Amino acid sequence: MGLLDVLPWRREKKAVSTKDDDLFDDEFQRKLEYLALVSRRVFAGRLRAERRTKKSGSGVEFADHRDYQPGDDFRYLDWNVYQRFEKLLVRLYEEEEDLAIYFILDTSASMAFGDGQKLRYAKKVCAALAYVGLANLDRVTIVTTSDRVMERMPETRGKARIFKAFRFLREVQAEGTTDLGDAMKTFVAQNKRRGLAVLVSDLYDPRGFEKGINVLRYNKFDPFVVHVTDPAEGKPRLNGDVLVYDCETGEEREVTVTAKVLSRFNEAYASYHADIDRFCATHQVPYVTARVDVPFDELILRVFRRGGFLR
Amino acid sequence: MFFAGLPFAQLLAIFGAVGFGVLVLYILKLRRRVVAVPFSPLWERILRDKEATSLFSKLKRLLSLLLQLALLALLVLALGDPRRTESLIKGRTVVVLVDASASMQATDVSPSRLAQAKDAVKNLIRNLGGSDRMLIAQMDAMVTPLGPMTDDASVLGGQLDNVHPTDARADFPRALRFASDVLRGVESGEIVVVSDGQLGEASDASGPVHVGNAKLTYMKVGQRDRNVGITQFSVRRYPLDKSRYEVMLELTDTGAAPEDVEIQLLGDGTLVDVTKLRLQPGVPLQRFYPQLSGANRRLEAKIALVDGTADDLPADDRAYALLPERHRAKVLVVTPGNTYLEAALLLDEYLDVTDVLPAAYPEALKTATWDAVIFDGATPPEMPKANVLYLDPRGPGAPVKVTDALKQPGFDKIDRKHPVVRYLGLDDVNVALGHKLVPETGDKVLGASDGGASPLLVAGTRGGYRFVAMGFDVRDSDLPLRTAWPLFVIDCINWFTDEDAQYLSAFRTGEVWRIPVAGGITAVTVKLPDGTVQSVPVHEGRAVLLGEQAGFYELTAGEQRTEFAANLLDVSESAIAPRDALPVVDGRTVAGQPVHGLREAPIGLPNKAWMGLLFAVALLTALEWATYHRRLTV
Repeated sequence: MGLLDVLPWRREKKAVSTKDDDLFDDEFQRKLEYLALVSRRVFAGRLRAERRTKKSGSGVEFADHRDYQPGDDFRYLDWNVYQRFEKLLVRLYEEEEDLAIYFILDTSASMAFGDGQKLRYAKKVCAALAYVGLANLDRVTIVTTSDRVMERMPETRGKARIFKAFRFLREVQAEGTTDLGDAMKTFVAQNKRRGLAVLVSDLYDPRGFEKGINVLRYNKFDPFVVHVTDPAEGKPRLNGDVLVYDCETGEEREVTVTAKVLSRFNEAYASYHADIDRFCATHQVPYVTARVDVPFDELILRVFRRGGFLR
Repeated sequence: MFFAGLPFAQLLAIFGAVGFGVLVLYILKLRRRVVAVPFSPLWERILRDKEATSLFSKLKRLLSLLLQLALLALLVLALGDPRRTESLIKGRTVVVLVDASASMQATDVSPSRLAQAKDAVKNLIRNLGGSDRMLIAQMDAMVTPLGPMTDDASVLGGQLDNVHPTDARADFPRALRFASDVLRGVESGEIVVVSDGQLGEASDASGPVHVGNAKLTYMKVGQRDRNVGITQFSVRRYPLDKSRYEVMLELTDTGAAPEDVEIQLLGDGTLVDVTKLRLQPGVPLQRFYPQLSGANRRLEAKIALVDGTADDLPADDRAYALLPERHRAKVLVVTPGNTYLEAALLLDEYLDVTDVLPAAYPEALKTATWDAVIFDGATPPEMPKANVLYLDPRGPGAPVKVTDALKQPGFDKIDRKHPVVRYLGLDDVNVALGHKLVPETGDKVLGASDGGASPLLVAGTRGGYRFVAMGFDVRDSDLPLRTAWPLFVIDCINWFTDEDAQYLSAFRTGEVWRIPVAGGITAVTVKLPDGTVQSVPVHEGRAVLLGEQAGFYELTAGEQRTEFAANLLDVSESAIAPRDALPVVDGRTVAGQPVHGLREAPIGLPNKAWMGLLFAVALLTALEWATYHRRLTV
């Protein structure tokens, strides 16, 4: 810290309070109901086959048919259908599965950058997906992280417990630096039951966003990345001689911002996003970009369409 | 090199102080705006390349400091107003006399001589050196400096726009004296006369004008001399028949060839007479128009060349005159009976005479307003509020003190300039008995006996009214038997009523006019021929005005409205042939120079270094601006 850092106008690392009482209002809850309904219909249809290896036949209640794939258990072949249509179809049953869903919410200071829009958005997304999970009688856990696991909402089930999630999310505040690698190590150590790990973050990790996701992968969790982005961050309104500092680390750099510099920054920003996208695609990690200027319910639907969230 | 602005030591001090400030600012570095970003590694990526160029950045920073110091140095130098030492030595102080007399209205050069003279002066202004200073003065009947001595070309150019032509002759000696006074004590003084050379002699009542060491330059304007002008124009009413008048006109062809001209005489805008004449060069030709009658008041004479062309000077092609309004004067005669007086008054049919006995005088005075009252052998206790002619006044009521009796006095001394006795033959009048009159201060002795020691005839003013007192009874003299007697009476009444029957001429432009106004009025307004109205002071009962325009004037003094006319009527101004040399000044003959190329100097910005320095500052700033916006220096 330099001498000038003590000056009052210098900077302040603010912990933006995003404790919004109206974040989960009635309107929001109505949308959740709608999303829950939609999710059932979607999962009941085409998405089920995508996770077939985990779904194959232990239930008792018939659910659907699907094409036979080599390796499927012959016992589930529907011979009646074969006789009528000469097509090999496998009978599917509702599985009484008890899935664990972990929502890992990044609450580092960068999530509250600006007016805290990213964190609010992340909370909404988290709440919506949690509701859908709860509605499917999955075990839902919410944890907040920065450079470590900060807070934890204990595992819970049932739609009625959504208010507990709301209360937990309302209290969440953004502070601290981001270190997803360390945080995820702590997370996997604390949660022995494997399941779906939905990481809701801006992925601004100076040590590399890959670390955290890899830790989840290596420990048999199914990572699902919801990348919260604010398009305004890609086009900063800066001009002239400025001293930029990182809102998390306080690291500072002197920059003379010109049109050329801004253009190069845009390229760097886009490149960073492309890296994330590429990494997730390469490692078959479901990845959704959550732009804060897109209505959250629209995003949730996109998550459903993208697949990987529920079986 | 020397500094005309701040001294060098002061400039050094300013540069040192401000330069130190600039240096400190560069060392301290200006505080940058602090901006938070969500993820600085993104900025690290793009700034990584710039690290390699940090040496170049430092160099640019040094260059920027040097540029700022250079800008500062230029500005400080501009404050000093640096000039070449040679320009200090050769700096001139120039007085430009622009001739605005009537002859400068000649149109032999387009559009006129005065316009060409102005162009010539503009050229002079453009060619002023860095240390030259100039003063421009308009030269006509008087000299009018148009502004202070300055080296500011824009100010001088603005002054030049205020030069306007007049219908008067130029007072060259006065202008030279003015220029000489301005340049007194100046080493490199120069007088530039821009004129056609029709300036008369360079001497006046005080003797020849000396201009000392000042250089005299004459810029000649004008080419031709074709001109016919009215050089005299007079009108008068006949003394005994004021309904009729006569006009005298003189024309002069000042050109080199004979000219056929047509003269038009107009009365109140209506043509009265047209005459065609042939004029010989340089020979004045008079024309009389006798026995003219009519109710016309405004008379105007116009001349034009018969061949339809125009001469070069239109200013002298017109002349104006105003006949005074005919007025039937009311005269009260207080007399026990005087046949001679009654007979004299019968001569003027425009007099409305009332005779009363002295005893009936107070009553008669109340009945009407009298233009003139004549007391014949009777003197009231106090002077009535009217103009009065006292014949043989006596007692304390007399306007002047009446003292010793004079036996057989005569008119040894007569004031022949006074309108009452002008042209009267009083020299051999025989008087048996008279009384010496003692005039008061301001009174005029019109006639006196004993070699001037015993005034017999006195005129003056009491309470704003005029009086004439004659110190003897006319019946004790042979005056009634002479032609002078009735003329004397009528002259007195005419003087009282301002009806000078002798000569009705217009005023001459370029002279100071003194127009009588009613008593008690201190300021009047005069409407000039061009329509402008100006206030005129009143001095000793007369409005004093220097007239420079020919035409009809209208003077308003309270409720009194007076019209009069003014004319150029100057043969020297009508002679418009441009002179090749100025009148001889201090024994020097100064030849005329063409109006352009007086001094070879490039036309453009004045030779002032501080302007160049500021220009350099602007250039450097523009350069920095351009490089900044092209991101060459950031």
